[in-house]
Amino acid sequence: MPETGPSDARRSHRSAVERSADHAAIERLMTELLPSLIAKLGATGLGELEVREGQWRVRLRRPIGGRAPSATSHAPARDRASRAAERADRADRAERPDRTERSAERGSDDGRATATSPAVGVYRPRRDLSAGDRVQAGDALGAVDMLGIPQEVVSPADGVVGLSLVESGDAVEYGQPLLVIEVLGGGAGSTAANAETTGSSTATDSSNGTGAG
Amino acid sequence: MFRKVLIANRGEIALRILRACRALGVESVVAYSEADRESLPVQLADEAICIGPADARRSYLSAPAVISAALITGCDAVHPGYGFLSEDEGFAEVVAAHDITFIGPPATVLERFASKAGTRQLMAAHGLPTIPGSEGMLRDDLHALSEADRIGYPVLVKPSAGGGGKGMRMARTPRELEGFLKVCRSEAKAAFGDDALYLEKWLDENRHVEVQVAVDRFGHGVHLGERDCSVQRRHQKIIEEGPTPALDAVARANLAETAVRAVVAAGYENVGTLEFLVDRDGNVFFIEINCRIQVEHPVTEMLTGIDLVATQIRIAAGEPLGFSQSDVTLRGHAIEFRINAEDPEHDFRPSAGVVERYHAPGGPGVRMDSHLFEGYEVPPFYDSLLGKLIVWGPDRASAIARGRVALDELVVDGLITNTAIHQALLQSETFIDGSFTTNLLDRVGSAAFTAAAARAS
Repeated sequence: MPETGPSDARRSHRSAVERSADHAAIERLMTELLPSLIAKLGATGLGELEVREGQWRVRLRRPIGGRAPSATSHAPARDRASRAAERADRADRAERPDRTERSAERGSDDGRATATSPAVGVYRPRRDLSAGDRVQAGDALGAVDMLGIPQEVVSPADGVVGLSLVESGDAVEYGQPLLVIEVLGGGAGSTAANAETTGSSTATDSSNGTGAG
Repeated sequence: MFRKVLIANRGEIALRILRACRALGVESVVAYSEADRESLPVQLADEAICIGPADARRSYLSAPAVISAALITGCDAVHPGYGFLSEDEGFAEVVAAHDITFIGPPATVLERFASKAGTRQLMAAHGLPTIPGSEGMLRDDLHALSEADRIGYPVLVKPSAGGGGKGMRMARTPRELEGFLKVCRSEAKAAFGDDALYLEKWLDENRHVEVQVAVDRFGHGVHLGERDCSVQRRHQKIIEEGPTPALDAVARANLAETAVRAVVAAGYENVGTLEFLVDRDGNVFFIEINCRIQVEHPVTEMLTGIDLVATQIRIAAGEPLGFSQSDVTLRGHAIEFRINAEDPEHDFRPSAGVVERYHAPGGPGVRMDSHLFEGYEVPPFYDSLLGKLIVWGPDRASAIARGRVALDELVVDGLITNTAIHQALLQSETFIDGSFTTNLLDRVGSAAFTAAAARAS
């Protein structure tokens, strides 16, 4: 694929050790760092969060008008080539806020689901569940107490528990959005596609950017 | 008076209750299903709360959902409207257990009148003539057949719970009766969760006349005249009017006074309606009592000038009635037309869709109770009532004349309505001379009336 050419070329003059360190970092990013960052952004109400770790820098930005955070770089890599493209794109976006913006908006379109109230009553979230926890579609997230009858709130998708839109003990109506679930994998296709198209036009920038990052 | 009332109903009656609350200076909350999010009562409400999905069993018919909504919105009373939970004594009891007032008769009173057969016995004991019928509920098919033999055919099979004609069948022979029992049981079970049935003697040419009463907590009761609901299609009322053309002034006054005396003696409370059948010879038989505000209540409001919904709310709040029988004056004549989203040309099949144009008629003595507006999408989940057109005139002829003008003026585009059948009925000699009977429309067929009207014009 011509789009991944520059990245492949760049990777070729990095050592095997460096490459495996990159992969480990990406894995850690996916399983540990990102979920907790999403939770953090959700809990603080901040608009943007940036974290640097080793050679990596991750920036999360809340979409304009949105209430919940979205990661600009959370697509799970499908193979080595796209991982590289992803990495290059991430570095590129870190330098170009306009692209970050656009990508964040895309992420919010298909990277989020909302758990809604199954009944009219009082909301009780599960105590053992907190922002950042992984959940699967159909998992119980809590209950709405309708006249003493608990009605289960279930996760609409596989993902990570994000922003809570109501407090425990709040009165809620039927269908009311209660909890944001950041969908893992939901935004993969579009982010990868975005990475591929930007990759070809900013080949030089990416290779430099990654090294600098 | 209440602080805040939860309106647990939809459509025109939710709007009617909202208006009554406002007139009384009481705050209200409209409880709605997901399908009614864009409805007029929700748009006009001070406060609204979604209580469940479109399926009424999980919203308007769900006692936990309604009571939960009342609790979390801080309501101290629930108005159930008509239909749904309006005559459910179990619901009224649970409402009371949460220190919320059920706007209607207290649960104990509802319970006393819950069984139609039991109510007939009770009212007979208090001096009302009742229609010959089975002794209590039908135990089984054999019991039904022997009771029908005793009463004499034709007989009407009726479910003990509910109303609106569901689960009701007229049987002319034992063979027909056997066939209907199973159908009626399953219809009654599906509609009311209770498959108990009883029998009544079927009066072939009869009229439906009902007396409106209001009784306060202190046993002070008045009647507000009667309504004639003889124009029916498959036991569903479509035109109601008052006074009834079936009885003269003396007979009407006798009936209303007898009814209110009996119902007060039987311990009834709040507004209610006693339904009677009137046979060809003017004999009157009590059939049942409706412990709620009825669809056709505006007929009485037009005749008396009394706000029945506000009266109902005040009585439930423990206020004395505040007026006596001598303060009630019945003036002129009123007719109500139920405007339904039904297609008269296709067996009154319900129609749903978007209201493209809407114009409510006006002028002196014309009232339109409706939740329609342009752009409103009528959901397919509930009954087909779009609104009620009520006309008043100093006498029956002038009320009919105003009714014709108003029906011609009414515009509901985008849906098929039953307006044409009302227009046809106002041309029919049987209606004009006041001799309509409850089974006439089904016997002759509405198409015959529309065809006759088309020929005449």
